Order: sequence, then C-alpha cells, then structure tokens
Amino acid sequence: MSAALEVAGATTGPGTQAVDPAAHGSAGPWRTALGQLVRNKAAMASLILLVLIVLACLCAPLYASKIAHVDPFASNVSGTTIIDGKTQPLLEPSSTGLGLGVTPIGPTWDPTHYFLGVDNQGRDVFARLLYGGRNSLLIGISSAVICCAIATVLGVLAGYFGGAVDGVLSRLFDVVWAFPVYLLAICLSVVLITSGLDLGPVHIGPGSLWLPIGIIALIYVPYVARPLRGQVMALRQKEFLQASIGIGASDWRVMRREVLPNILPTVIVLLPLMTALNMLTESALSFLSIGVQPPNASWGTIINDGLGLLYTRPAVTIAPGLAIVLTAGALNVLGDGVRDALDPKAKLRGAA
Amino acid sequence: MKSRHVLASTALTAALVVTAGCSSSSTPSSSANASGSAAAPTSFQEQHKGGTLHLVAKAAAGTIDPMINYTLQYWQLYQAMYDGLLAFKKVDGVKSFTVVPDLAEEMPQVSDGGKTYTFTLRKGIKFSNGADVTPDDVVASFTRIFKVNSPTAGSFYNGIVGADACIKTPATCDLSKAVVGDAKAGTVTIHLVAPDPEFPYKLAVPHATIVPKNSPMTDAGTTPLPTTGPYMVKSYDPNRALIMVRNPHFKEWSHDAQPQGYPDEIDETFGLTVEAEVTAVENGQADWVFDPPPADRLNEIGSKYAKQAHVNALTAMWYLAMNVNIAPFDNIKARQAVNWALDRAGAVSLYGGKNLAQPVCTFLPPDFPGHVDDCQYTKGGGTTWKEPDVAKAKQLVKESGTAGQAVAVVTTDDEVNKAIGENVQSMLNEIGYKATLKPISGNIQFTYIQNTNNKVQISLTSWYQDYPAASDFLNVLLGCGSFHPGSDSSINISGFCDKTIDAQMQKALATEQTSMDEANMMWGEVDKAVMTASPTAPIFTPKLIDFLSARVGNYQFSKQFYMLVSQLWVQ
Amino acid sequence: MGRFIVRRFAAALFVLFAISVLVFLIFFATPGVDPAARIAGRNASQATLAQVRHEFGLDRPLPVRYVLMMRHLFIDRDLTSYVNRGARVIPQIWQAVPVTLSLVIGAAVLWMFFGVLMGTVAAARRGTALDPLMVLLGIIGISMPVYWLGEVVNLVTQNALHDSVFSWVPPLGYVPLTENPLQWALRLLFPWLTLAVLYAGIYARVLRGELLSSLNEDYVRTARAKGLSERRILIKHALRCSLIPIVALFGLDFGALVGGAALLTEVVFGLPGVGKLTYDALQNVDLPVIMGCVLYAAFFVVLANAVVDLLYAVLEPRVRYA
Repeated sequence: MSAALEVAGATTGPGTQAVDPAAHGSAGPWRTALGQLVRNKAAMASLILLVLIVLACLCAPLYASKIAHVDPFASNVSGTTIIDGKTQPLLEPSSTGLGLGVTPIGPTWDPTHYFLGVDNQGRDVFARLLYGGRNSLLIGISSAVICCAIATVLGVLAGYFGGAVDGVLSRLFDVVWAFPVYLLAICLSVVLITSGLDLGPVHIGPGSLWLPIGIIALIYVPYVARPLRGQVMALRQKEFLQASIGIGASDWRVMRREVLPNILPTVIVLLPLMTALNMLTESALSFLSIGVQPPNASWGTIINDGLGLLYTRPAVTIAPGLAIVLTAGALNVLGDGVRDALDPKAKLRGAA
Repeated sequence: MKSRHVLASTALTAALVVTAGCSSSSTPSSSANASGSAAAPTSFQEQHKGGTLHLVAKAAAGTIDPMINYTLQYWQLYQAMYDGLLAFKKVDGVKSFTVVPDLAEEMPQVSDGGKTYTFTLRKGIKFSNGADVTPDDVVASFTRIFKVNSPTAGSFYNGIVGADACIKTPATCDLSKAVVGDAKAGTVTIHLVAPDPEFPYKLAVPHATIVPKNSPMTDAGTTPLPTTGPYMVKSYDPNRALIMVRNPHFKEWSHDAQPQGYPDEIDETFGLTVEAEVTAVENGQADWVFDPPPADRLNEIGSKYAKQAHVNALTAMWYLAMNVNIAPFDNIKARQAVNWALDRAGAVSLYGGKNLAQPVCTFLPPDFPGHVDDCQYTKGGGTTWKEPDVAKAKQLVKESGTAGQAVAVVTTDDEVNKAIGENVQSMLNEIGYKATLKPISGNIQFTYIQNTNNKVQISLTSWYQDYPAASDFLNVLLGCGSFHPGSDSSINISGFCDKTIDAQMQKALATEQTSMDEANMMWGEVDKAVMTASPTAPIFTPKLIDFLSARVGNYQFSKQFYMLVSQLWVQ
Repeated sequence: MGRFIVRRFAAALFVLFAISVLVFLIFFATPGVDPAARIAGRNASQATLAQVRHEFGLDRPLPVRYVLMMRHLFIDRDLTSYVNRGARVIPQIWQAVPVTLSLVIGAAVLWMFFGVLMGTVAAARRGTALDPLMVLLGIIGISMPVYWLGEVVNLVTQNALHDSVFSWVPPLGYVPLTENPLQWALRLLFPWLTLAVLYAGIYARVLRGELLSSLNEDYVRTARAKGLSERRILIKHALRCSLIPIVALFGLDFGALVGGAALLTEVVFGLPGVGKLTYDALQNVDLPVIMGCVLYAAFFVVLANAVVDLLYAVLEPRVRYA
C-alpha cells in the first residue's frame, strides 16, 4: 500500500515533509481515502458480502413465491410435504417408545423445497430468514446510526465544556445506563397491547418498528458517549487544540474542525459494533412483544423460536445466528477499512 | 382449577356425597396411565426407607402457609405434611377421589338436615413441635382461615355460620358459636348456614389444615408452621430450596389418610431452567422435575428414557375464551366460526402430540361426570372431533358482518402457549379477520384477561380440575355469579351470562342434593347449550408427564394431587 | 479530591431517586400488574380482594405508597416481596451478591485478557490476515446471544458429551468459595467463558482502533526516533493512552454486570445471583424486589463511572478533572 498524503492543516512531526497538494496535482483527501479502501482486500470482500446479503433479503418475496412456493407467515402445523417421493407431515410425531413429542422436518438442502427445514409452526425457515433480514438490518443499522449520532453530539459537548454541562449530561448517562430496560419493556408491551401509546399527536401501536429503534438507540447512548467524552477530555489538553482556542476560534469551530475529526475513528469503529449489539437487543425486545410481532420475523425472533428446538433441530437457531455473525463481521471489517482509509496519519509500520 | 398451579374453588362434586359412614367412589376414571404404575404395597417396606429425594422446580410457589398457598406445586408437597379433619385417600388410581377421615376418628355425624357436622378427634396425634392436637387447635384453625384472608374464605367456607362477618372484617372474626370444640369429649362441631353436600371435600383440601392454636394470625410467608404428617419443613428459601425432613413426632394412624413416608429427607431446589432440569434428571443429579418438559425433549424422554416417564390423563382443558360483550365476538356467528375453524389437531401437535393431549369438542372433558360425547363443530358431523371446517367458518364470518375487524389473541409468553396462539392467529386471519398475537408474561396474563377494563377479545387459557365436578367446570367458568366487570378476579373470562342457561345450572346444582345421576344428565344438557352459544372454544385435554430419575421406584399417581411424593423409593 | 467525592455522592443520590421514581411510575402506569389479585389468590372473592388491597396499602394514593416503600426499604429495612411473602428484599439481594461478584470478576479478568491480547495482535499485525481474523473472532463472540450460547454450552457439556469429554463438569449451580474452592471454580468455569466471549470482542475491536491511532502520535514517533523497539513502543507507550475508551467501556460494563446485568447468564447456568433475582422479580412483576434490585444496580453504575473518571486522571495526566 502506498502511504497516504499529508492533509493540509494536520500536524507534521519531525522527519516528515509538508506537502503542498496543489503543487503535485494529486487527488484530494476523499479520493485518496477511496483509493485506499478499494485496495483493502478484506474490506472489499466484506462490501461484496454485505451487498449480497442485502440483495438476498430484498429478494425475499421473490424467493418465497417463485422459488420455494411457501407462505412464510401462515402456520402450517398440520401440513404435509413430499420428500423422496414419500408424503410426510411437516411436524412428525414421535413413534418410538411412548410416542411423545413432534419433530419438525430438518434441512433438505434443496433450495426449492424447505432448504433449512421448518420451524415449530411448520413454516419454511430459509424464507423467514430472508424476510427477517430486512427487519434486522433496518432496526440494527438505523438504531446504531441514531445512537452514534446522538452519542457523538452529547459526548463531545460533555467532554469539551466540562463543568456543569458535563455534570448534567453525565448524570443523564448514569440514569439511562442504570435504567431497567427489561422492566420498561415488559410494562410498555402491556400498555401497547392494551391501548397503544399516545405521544402527543402520534399513536404508536405494538407493531411499530420505530419503537424498538428508538428504545435501543437511546439505551446505548451512554455506551458510546462516555468513551467519546473521555477522549474529548484528553484531547482538550492537547497543544493543537489549545492553539486553536488561543487564536480565537469559537467553541463551535473548534469542536467541528479539531475535535470531531479526531474522534471520528472511534465512532467508525463503534458503529458496526453497535449494529451487532443492537440486532441482538432487538431480539430480546421482540420476545417481549415490542417491535417485530408474530408472525413477522427478524433474525433475533427466529433465534428465539429456534431455542425451543435446540435439542432436535439446531439448524433453526444456528442459521440466523450465522447470518448475524456474517453481517456484523462484514460491517466491522468494512468499518475498519473505512477507518484506516480516512485516517490521514495511518501508515504501515516501517513505511517511509 | 386454572392450571396445575392453581386449584378450583366452589362447588365440589356431590357425586361423592358423604353421609355418615358412606363414601362411595365416583364415576369411571379417565383412561389408565400409559405406563402404568405398580400396585401399591399394602404395608410399609422397611428396606426402601431412607435416602434423600431431590426434586427440582423452576421457581418457588409463594407462601408456605397451607391456608393461603393455592398452587398445585405446594399442595402436592403438603400431602405429606399437613392434615385436616378429612383427607383424600392417598393411593394410586381412582380411589384417590375418596374422602376418608384423617385427624377425625371417623366420618362426621351429620345432623340437623345437613347443617351440623360433628367430628371426634383422634387422640394421641402431636404436632411437629411436640404439642398435642386438641379441639382448641381446630377452632383456632378455622378462625385463622378468615384472619389470613385465605383465597377460598369466600367460596369454600362462607357456609359456616358467621363467616360473612368474618370475611368483611377479619380482624374481629369470632367463630366460637359456629365451630365449637369440646375438650372433654374430644369433639368439634361445625354449624353451617345451609346444607352443603360438598362440605367434606372442602375440609379435605390444604386450606382447611389444622395448625396449632398459637400460630400467627397473619400470612406465614417463609416461616413454616408445625405439621402433623410424616414430614416437616426444615427450611424454606424461595430463591434456593424447600427442605423437608422427617417429623419426629409422627406415628402412622391411618395408612389411607396419611401413610408413613419412605425418604428421610425431601428437597425441592429452585433456580434451574426447565431444559437444565430435564438434563439433571437424565444425569441422575435430580430425581423428578415438576415443570412440564420442553417440546424438544419430549421425544428423548419418550424413547430413550421411556421407563422413567409416566403419562397420566388429567381432568383438565385448554380453551379459548371469547369476550361476548365486545366486538367481534359479541356476535354468536363469529364465535361459532372460531369453533368451526379451530385446528385442534394442530394444537395437540404443538402441545406434544397425540399421546399427550386429546382434542375436545365439549366443555366437560371426556370421562367427566356429566360428559356426553357430542361434537357440534366437526366437518362431516359426528360425536367426536375429526377436522375443522374452514369453509363454513369463512361463511359464518361473512354472515356475521364482522369480517375484516382487528382481533388480538392474548396468551402467556411461554413456548407452548405462544405456539398455539400463533396457530390461532393464523386461523383467524384465514377466516377473514386481521389478527395479531399478544403474548404477556405468564404471571400477569391470568389476571389481565379477567379484567374487562383491558378489553381482551380472545385469550388462550386453561382450567385444571382436581376433582370431577361438572358443576364446578360449568358454573364456575360460565355462571353469571362468576362475572365481575372491572375486577382482576372475574373467573368467567368470557363474561358470559345467559339467564336461561344460568337457571338450568342452578336447577342442576339443586338436583345434586337428591340424585347425582339426574343432575349429571342435566349438566350434559347445559354443556350442549353452552357449546351452541359458543362463548368458549375448547381445544384439548392434556396429559401429565412425570419424569423420574433411574433410581426412583414405587411411583403412585393420585388423581387428586398427582404423584405421591412421600411414597417414592430412592433406595 | 474531597469535593469530588462529595459531589459524586450527591449525584449518586440524585440518580437513585430519579430511577426509583421512574420504576414506581412505570409499574403503576401499567394495566394488569396490580398485585392485589395475585396476592389474594385465584378467584378470590371481591371482599377478600378489598381486604388484601387494604392490608398492603394498595388503596392509598401513589405518593404515599412511594414514601412507604422507600421507608420500608431504607429505614426499616424490612421490605418484603409481594410474591414470596415473608421473604425480605435486602437479605435476598445480600445473599445473591457473592454469586454475581464471583461470576463477573472472573469473567472480567478473562475478557480483558483476551480482549487486550486480540486487539493488540490485530493492531500489531495490521495488513496481514491476522488482523481481520481477530476481528472476525471478536465479532463471532459479540454476535451470539448469551442465552443461546449458554444453552449450547449446556447442551454440549451436560447432555451430549457429558458421558465422555465433559464428564468432569459438575452439575449446574453455585458452591460458595469458602465451602469448596475447587467446586466453586469448576462450576463457574463455563459461565465465565460464556460471559467473557461476549465482551472480549468489543474490547478487542476498540483497542485495535485506538492503538492504531496512538501509534501515530507524536510521542510514539519520538520513541521510534529514539530507537525503541516496536514492541516496547506498543506495550509501554501506545497501549497506555489507548486505554481511555477501554476504561470507560469497562466501567460501564463492569458496573452494569455487578448490578445484575448478567441475568441471562445466571439464568441459563442456574446461578442464584442478583441477575437471576432481578429476572425472577421481572417475571413475577414483583415490585418490591424489582425496586431493590434496580436501586442496587443503579448504585453500582454510578460508583463504577465515578471510579472511571478518577482513572482518567491517572491515564492521561493532562486531564484535570475540574
């Protein structure tokens, strides 16, 4: 990889030469970053994987109706299917010993016919997986973005201004972080079930996806804001910042031009991390009936449903888990690549 | 009874009418155990005495006070600890429905047209703290029922003279005129306001336990009360365990009423998940799991561990309660459509298969007194349910004019209930509604669906009866007297109050005092009428699995309180 | 320093008050959670219901009930559960504390060790395949729901391979350290690993990012110019300044876990800690125990954050906590 060019305005240390971009006719910082990113093999692989996952999830209706010919949302408990020429019930009753229990059919590894088997309601797992991806990706990514945005603003404000502002914000973080979210979720679900929630002019029903997005975004704000706050507090003491203030730059300008770019790498690392955590938190909330309602699916709800089949059909609970791992993994590797590409000071060890 | 954890209230059967000296057993029992329990040994087998029995349960079941606790989990354990004037015979099979004298020497003398019961106390029985059991203790115990606000004070024991005042102001409760103890003669006399053929049964449940007269007149909570049976509570920590040890002052006085126990110690530990409990029993780390096994372990238990599993039929029912006072189920056609379209076989599958549940089509379960084989909602007709008729249901929904309305199905959030709920939701969508599923935490769902303020349209719930009492099932769940709008305690969940049917029920109740068979026939008619009006949709009747570890022997199943814990052999 | 402590103590009181009020309000604003019917017993008569309501003070106005509950909790210290009547809240929590501490401290040691190791390796070996591999390992850890992981671990160690590979694994449950140290550790081994797997990945990721940033700081350049080895630079210099966000996260996580956030781990492995107590209380919607557990947890969150703020001054001497 080639070394990144110095960006005008960044500090230069001993041994490096200041470069005037205009004199050499080189690309601007964004194009440079993009170039670096493209050359990062791992990041590119992740990007392709992500695109594939998103495409697959978007094609869920196509898959369900044209390829698999199933309705992934209707219970099919007494349904039957033909495997190897034999008609077989989807939920097979046990025939050994006392004949207790029923077992759903397992993966057939045939993409046109119950690829991953069925769940405990007789529904096609793979089709639900694809539909579920839409909800998981939507909730996971939007709540992570909202969370990081709010947390960045609050963290910077708290760390930069200190004093009373920090005091109030830090107490707020404490209250939010110590807050019993499960209790809120349980009680909220009962309220939603009974009468729905009225926030001013807006009526929120139990199936609204904005509710889990909002709740998850808010409860993780302290988790992102406090590390950022700490960093900003350390940054505040640095010379270049002091210098900026010394020459009379306004707080706003300092925050925007000096503080923000320096904490951006941390935010970029935290963003995909929070996406993974949020997708899992969503499953806990959906279990308490806030967010994705049955028979709709998300990867988290499929994992929950599959837990009841862990001892007989582990595929049902492993497949969505794998999906989360792949998506989160790809997002994180890509995130690292973006972070590295944007970091003007990033150099390989030993590079000149 | 609402579930295994709760017992029924009110009117117990008069089928087992008890007059002095006569206690015949009831109607035919339900089908035999799938894995049959061995015939009980008639005498105590010394070689099997000893050892520690290790039971596991997911969680504790509340207060240890026998007069307040209303859960099957502890009633099962109380059988080996507490005694009342009368008791249900502690044997295997249908004879367990028979009431026998326990602390009383013999069945009571009933006089004054059935309003006065005189008991002679056995002599020589001591509490676990060494004190003798005297008539004063009996009087104090009955007063205590009201002072501690027992849940059945108003339903079982309100027939005692002066009970009404006691219920209203328990602090000043004085039953000295109604429950009279004669220390010299060793007798206790109870005066009722009106004759009650079921009174002996009410005396045989743990709420009528006899405790020492100096017991605290408040909820005992976690402090155990002295016992008269073969075991006593050594310690109770609701987060860890309930430890029972032998009562040093126990001497067997009646093998039928209170047999000597085999294990030296019985521990019930709490805190594991049900999956972990099943694994513990399989590994021999525990002896019996109270909670129903999860769906994905049933196959394993039924095949690999078949010898350690016992399946018994229960007189119980899972059903959908439809609110007849709000849309869309205030329309009878909509309700009948649900009965037509309900996939009962599917629900049976979700519960665990044909060997664990049986679809039902009547309000009274099969082999229940008053039950008549009949099915108004099966495709092609007949007396047993075969399959749903979705086309007919769709038509009925259209005719009712309620098509397209939003319906919310309220269930508890555990696996099986949620699965059945999803199936019902899917069915409702199919017949023309816009259905959603609303699972609620198991501990609040039951009171939630009873309160009309919550506007619950349709809910999935169950009712476990501990003794066959047609009056109980029908009158309690569907009688006008059980409907209390706006209250958390309104067991007539459907809010069903039909004057004609209610009159029929009262007539059947009255007939019980003269002829049980005639009364049962009348109950059969009530059942038919209720199914036509369709305020509920019965789904199936469940069976109970007892999963024991390999070392445990002498499994006895009482139809009344289920597995006899004290009779298990661990060595 | 003294002022700092006083200020933070006042802040803690404020946070506890705010949370207790919120919990109380949420509870009573929810339909269907009224404890009277559940305390009275199923199908209790209306008169019994009224009696119970009066006895438990549930017919009094909300603020009075709040004050009464706080008085029972803090002053009389005899607040009892609605569901397990007779069981006092404070002794229940007290009994559960050592279990949670054993679980969380052990897990924390493991996850910090692995997290720092993986993050450092990823940063040092950036550009090679080891970097994304470490990332992926970490992500796998984070992406697994803890309840699921615990169930799978139990499936393997207690059920499937219990007779062969894992026969040394004792039954689920907790044995106090003072009673039998070996059993204590054996029973906690898999819970430690399960909990640690979740967090190690987060710390590895964040540390990698921070290390890479600080490896380009001036003082690191200076150290390089002085001729120090990369390894020494990495460990002695770069690591120290990268720790600020790590310490912040650790404070949040550790504080929350000690307060009972590890509830699913405790439930799955049958450990009777504060988390399990909270979980049971939530399932039962048992307000007194919920209140006790939530306030206990809130206290630790505030404490942990205060300690973290103190640590900033140590890690970055230029930060003066005003």
